[in-house]
Amino acid sequence: MRPDMPSPAVADQPLISIENLSVQFTRAGKQMRAVQDVSLHVAPGETLGLVGESGSGKTTIGRALLRLLPEANTQWQGSIRYQGTDLAGLSKTDMRRMRGRLQMIFQDPVSSFNPRRKIEDIVAEGLEIQGIERSERKLRMEAALRDVGFSLADVAGRRPHQFSGGQCQRIAIARALAVQPELIVCDEPVASLDVSVQAHIINLLQDIREARRLTMIFISHDLAVVKNVSDKVAVLYMGKVVEVGTGEQVYSRPAHPYTRTLLEAVPVVDASRKIKPAAERMVMPSRNRPPEGCAFRLRCPRAADRCAKEEPVLGVGPGGQSVACHFPHDEPAPNLVSESA
Amino acid sequence: MRPVDAHSNPASSTSLADIARAAMPATARLRFPGAGMFDMLAIAFLALLVLVALFVDIIPGLVSPKFPYGDFSQLPDLTLNGLFGTDEIGRSILSRVLYGARASLSIVLVATCLSVSVGILLGMLAGYYRGPLERMVDLYANTMSALPSILVVLAFVTATGTSVLAIMLILGILDIGTYARVAKAGVISQNNRDYVLAARAMGASDARIMIREILPNLVPALTAVMPTLMAGLIITEGSLSFLGYGIPAPAPSWGGMIAASTDLLSRFPVLIVGPTGAIVLTVYALNTVGDYLAQRLNSRERGN
Amino acid sequence: MSSAPNSAILECRDMSCLISARPEPLRVLEHIDFSVARRTSLGIVGESGAGKSMLIKSIMGIAPKSVQVSGAISIDGQDLSGMKPKERAAFIGRKVGIVFQNPMTSLNPYVPVGRQVAEAARRHLGLSREAARNRAIELLSVVGIADAAECYGYYPHHFSGGMKQRIMIAAGLVCDPELLIADEATTALDVTVQKEVLDLLQTIQEERRMSLILVSHNLGVVAGRTDEVLVLYGGRVVEYGPTAEVFRNPRHRYTEALLSAMPQMDQPAHSRLRTIPGQPPSLAAKPDGCPFAPRCAVAADICRRVMPPMAVASDSRHRFACHLPLEAQAPMRSPDPIVAQGGVGHAS
Repeated sequence: MRPDMPSPAVADQPLISIENLSVQFTRAGKQMRAVQDVSLHVAPGETLGLVGESGSGKTTIGRALLRLLPEANTQWQGSIRYQGTDLAGLSKTDMRRMRGRLQMIFQDPVSSFNPRRKIEDIVAEGLEIQGIERSERKLRMEAALRDVGFSLADVAGRRPHQFSGGQCQRIAIARALAVQPELIVCDEPVASLDVSVQAHIINLLQDIREARRLTMIFISHDLAVVKNVSDKVAVLYMGKVVEVGTGEQVYSRPAHPYTRTLLEAVPVVDASRKIKPAAERMVMPSRNRPPEGCAFRLRCPRAADRCAKEEPVLGVGPGGQSVACHFPHDEPAPNLVSESA
Repeated sequence: MRPVDAHSNPASSTSLADIARAAMPATARLRFPGAGMFDMLAIAFLALLVLVALFVDIIPGLVSPKFPYGDFSQLPDLTLNGLFGTDEIGRSILSRVLYGARASLSIVLVATCLSVSVGILLGMLAGYYRGPLERMVDLYANTMSALPSILVVLAFVTATGTSVLAIMLILGILDIGTYARVAKAGVISQNNRDYVLAARAMGASDARIMIREILPNLVPALTAVMPTLMAGLIITEGSLSFLGYGIPAPAPSWGGMIAASTDLLSRFPVLIVGPTGAIVLTVYALNTVGDYLAQRLNSRERGN
Repeated sequence: MSSAPNSAILECRDMSCLISARPEPLRVLEHIDFSVARRTSLGIVGESGAGKSMLIKSIMGIAPKSVQVSGAISIDGQDLSGMKPKERAAFIGRKVGIVFQNPMTSLNPYVPVGRQVAEAARRHLGLSREAARNRAIELLSVVGIADAAECYGYYPHHFSGGMKQRIMIAAGLVCDPELLIADEATTALDVTVQKEVLDLLQTIQEERRMSLILVSHNLGVVAGRTDEVLVLYGGRVVEYGPTAEVFRNPRHRYTEALLSAMPQMDQPAHSRLRTIPGQPPSLAAKPDGCPFAPRCAVAADICRRVMPPMAVASDSRHRFACHLPLEAQAPMRSPDPIVAQGGVGHAS
């Protein structure tokens, strides 16, 4: 409801653009489609939030972006262009050089550290690999650690298990920052943290994003967190983008029935609301055998014959966002309705 | 968390274990969390054995010179030298058992170094790259565990002639498959861990990931299987010497001594006690330590 | 089965849990005081280490042996401390059903799900094989599993996480319990599935006239779905009262800080969240005074020295343990009828 939304650094050229990305895994001889025909663009300095439930393909997209998918049992098609360079076409050596500009933060900070290594070695790892000189390395480590509220002395000689989950996540952020990346993929970075610690990490990521003019892809199942950090939001359902637009568009005028279902399901602390349990039950389709037509139609209250026959493609929705639905909604979000009433 | 740990095994430090702990030489007095009395005794015994093997010729007066002339009595007497009797040409059994420890331990250690290093290398490559290499490693490990090891060793030694080097080599080859399999399983379980992914995201090369990230985390699992496999080697080496294909004659070896004592078994059964006891105690101690390490590994993996 | 209808189904009086350790015992829970009235629901919220799961384990009598539980727990008016262990387990089994967080590990992967529910029925109720089977099928359909008779023979891996959690709820309902405890039962689930399972719990509670305890680290799960809420921090009850009242007008500094640390859907993008400095207290180094004092923005000397006693707000059912509480706000326009009914068994 805010037309004068603070627009992010608008640039004509996206920093990273994914075109028609599809990923299949082979497990025990069976093919599983994790991501289907996804196209996304992120401008420099912008934060793209990817939301969806487990199995929606959000983590796969994040890893595909950084070419971190296991090579053995994965096939993928499409292109991932970073500043015009197709990452798929890069040799192993060139990709390794590119990794200094693309970084990742994982969900579980503790398991993203090798338990047998010292913190300062972990943070210096990327710098060492990128061939930064020793004296410069130390400066950069100090700067990165300072950004997350540590000093080199705080972590010197200590190992990951000596830090709490929240502290480990800060160190993980420092590790990513040390190589001075342009893009960071954050994969559920606060999901395993307590609420009181989570807020700290979210603020920290925001500060760093601003100070370093970072582009971010923020993957989360928590819609409230995504709302807070993202300029643009893409909603994924069973490997496909069903709705993508600015945060305001998606959250205040969600057009896809799935987006609305998600928003309605978010548990909110709202003292004035007494939740009435829904009577009807929804059917969850199998991930391996998605239904013909629209993947969401079996759970969709608006599903009609057309949805079974014809798979909807992304088109411009009523609020200006892109939506893949034959019968998109054109009214404010369910939560907003009840609140304004 | 630490106080809870301390609480969970309040009674494990029995007095005897303390004595065993205290008896250990200062350099080796490490911490053994959760070790019971038998674990500490086994560790102390092995440490003592290694010391004896290292320093057996410079311990003055405690044990006799290498090949003492005895009184041909073959019965125990009250001196330390004669405690386990003397053999058919009057050499002190105790003295020969102690020298035999050096022979057995050095063979087993060299063989283990060989099999651990080759096994880790093969296992890591197999686990990291999978594919044909993995199938070859599996085939090798399965074949080796299917064949009776003493036959393999005998065939090899017959072909090459008995020499200490040949025995070390073939004993080393025996266990490569097992170590490779343990290493491979460790790599596969780590390969999708976030820290490996994080290193890859940093641009680490495959070799760097294997050496820096994966290898250190293989160490606990490998050290847990190592004592048990070494115990197996002690027995195989003993059997080989017993059959006369082991360490060539005048040098003492536990298996050879058992073979020699069997000739006199009906008249002087005491002669078999020394060498057999040495093998039994060593194997038992190694297996105890192996169990202890495996148990510690498990409790650590459960998040202790 | 029918005892005094007005008594609380569960009452906890001055319950503490200690783990003996050197140099001094670890105080996992201290002086926990609450009750759950019949046909009402209670939410228990707290971060990791607050003592939520220990509280539930102590009530259920399944705390580890190293934990010493003191204080009085009574279920359906009966004091548990007087009972022999076996007798107590059987009594709790009949009165209380429980659903744990992880359906993947609570269900045996090698036994058909229906049989797992039926086994529970046979064990607790002594039903015959046939009767237990019918009971299991009936309960599976109660929790919204279509074709319950057919699903009876399916193995856990045939079901999604949400479905497995429904099966666990069915197993929890076997004895027609008067109290159902859901211990982080929806934490591992996706939001839409979480909503369905919470809806189901709420519906079942109303249909079967049970009491419900919803344990969660997520304030949102409890808000709007329970009559009362208990906020745990560092092993202490810091605030306790009608859910709507506590969330609308939190008096304890911790509750308020936690509420404002949560990102809200109605905030614009990139708005700063309020943070709580520091870490939740560790068991080994718990402060003497208020457990929240080291992280509290307004903590005074007294907070660090003396544990604040439970104070009662003007609405006598709302209580909090804070030396420097937040101001009370104007009362709510129209109290929710269900909330208003939910009585708290007051300690005399």
